[in-house]
Amino acid sequence: MGPAVLSVAVFLYGPLIASVALSLLDWNLLSSEVRFVGLANYGAVLDSVDFRLSAWNTLLYCATLIPAQIILPLILAVMIHALRRSPAQGFYRGCLFLPTIVAYSVAGVAWSWLLNPVSGLFNELLDHFGLPRSRWHTDPNLALLCVSLVTFWKTFGLNMLLWLAALSSLPQELREASQLDGASPRRHFFTISLPLMAPTAFFISVTTLFHVLDDIVGVIDVLTHGGPAGRSSSLLYYLWQQGLQFFQFGTASAVAVIIIAVVLAATWLQFRVVEKRVHYG
Amino acid sequence: MNARSFRLSSFRLSSFRLSPHRLVIHAALLATSVATVFPLVWMVSSAFTPNDLITAKAIRLWPEDPTLSNFATAASRYPIWMWLWNSILTATLITVGKLVLAVPAGFAFGRMEFPGRQVLFWFVIATMSFPAVLAIIPTYIAVVKLQAFDTYGAMIIPSIPYIGFYVFYMRQAFRSLPGTMFEAARIDGAGLWRQFTEIGIPNGVPAIAALSVISFMGAWNIYLWGQLVLEDRFKKTLTTGIAAFADLEGTDRAWGPLMATSLLSVVPVLVTFLLAQRFIVETLAPASQDK
Repeated sequence: MGPAVLSVAVFLYGPLIASVALSLLDWNLLSSEVRFVGLANYGAVLDSVDFRLSAWNTLLYCATLIPAQIILPLILAVMIHALRRSPAQGFYRGCLFLPTIVAYSVAGVAWSWLLNPVSGLFNELLDHFGLPRSRWHTDPNLALLCVSLVTFWKTFGLNMLLWLAALSSLPQELREASQLDGASPRRHFFTISLPLMAPTAFFISVTTLFHVLDDIVGVIDVLTHGGPAGRSSSLLYYLWQQGLQFFQFGTASAVAVIIIAVVLAATWLQFRVVEKRVHYG
Repeated sequence: MNARSFRLSSFRLSSFRLSPHRLVIHAALLATSVATVFPLVWMVSSAFTPNDLITAKAIRLWPEDPTLSNFATAASRYPIWMWLWNSILTATLITVGKLVLAVPAGFAFGRMEFPGRQVLFWFVIATMSFPAVLAIIPTYIAVVKLQAFDTYGAMIIPSIPYIGFYVFYMRQAFRSLPGTMFEAARIDGAGLWRQFTEIGIPNGVPAIAALSVISFMGAWNIYLWGQLVLEDRFKKTLTTGIAAFADLEGTDRAWGPLMATSLLSVVPVLVTFLLAQRFIVETLAPASQDK
């Protein structure tokens, strides 16, 4: 246990604390000059147009992806669960989970081939039906949507499995009992199944927030590089670019600290809401 | 009265026969499954289609003139077999590293009493929720300062400590073993270490196996970090190599060889996944409900 705690402390908590320290400095890897600048990095970041754009994009990503990542997998899980004892069940589950095991770069490459504006399949299909071509992920107005779509494709399988596991662990007798009482399947689902799955729902809602933030970075990096003109960038991608392409460690760390603060606040809020429900609901 | 018995009987029937209701569900799931798998099928099809045919016309389902030439072209331009080896090496070592840390830790948290256990447990578990990108900059600086840039160590070591879930899961696994087993060993004079190696590990094998699979698949697909610290083209893994491949060639990249290389990177995880699908489902199930 000692080594585990130590490694977590050194490699995960260490960097977080280092981020706070770095955010107060003006430093890049190439120069040996280190200056203490206090909160100047924060000011610069908050003033930056790119930062604001990526913050707004992150909000859009969360607003579309989080509900989609929670609800659609639940619907799929309910459907698969309804088919238990059918030999096709494993097939559906496997197919739907498949993209989850693929690497981001592979997902990005596979989709950029489909979406390719010049010779991609989607545009050829549009041609085929006599519809105008689209620039897909290279269109400033569609880039964010394309990234969301690929991210969703790449990640919904995990939540689906979690929902499925929760559904199959519900006691079968409850369904039979409410059937005897004449409850419709829908009513049974919303008044009995769903509340019983509350722990899973909570787990999913917390982890989905983190995953959405994290997963987008990989997709953006392969599919759009944040472009065109930053229209598909997110906060974490902005951090990645600032720190590791432009080597502005100070600004990047300031972004990191801002993200940590927001994520902590959001998680705290989620825990509070759940606590309220449990105690007074 | 009538309605109730009707519903009961139709419920029974529906589990054996295809009711219209189930047919609709089958249709919906089949459509979603096909749509989900399609980009990957498309990749496979493109990987075996001659490259000059690919760009001429995209619409096809089955490769005409199936060929392995894309693999040969890719291998002549990039060290893809070296990438494959690097992926195997790093994914294996990361998995071993994670298990070496997480299994004893899970045992300690699940089976031992010591002051501060709860706090330390949460200290470790909370890292499950760290977006990996946040730690990247300081870790990167450290790697550069230690002159470890572009080494396997730089790829492997910082990837290991993301063990929150693993520790959590191993704790659950060790806790679910009957306490009497350990009690008996203690009475026989077995120390903690022997309890761990002779009772804990043999009985934790299913959990350890499941975590190995999950970890291997995860490590195989590490992308951002590898992208950052592996620059030498011979040191890249498949996932980072593919990104370099795609980047270097811009928009008129050679799609055929690129798809072939991508396919190469998917096959090992796919096989692992198919072999261990049930395992993975069962592993994820209890973990989410316990929180």
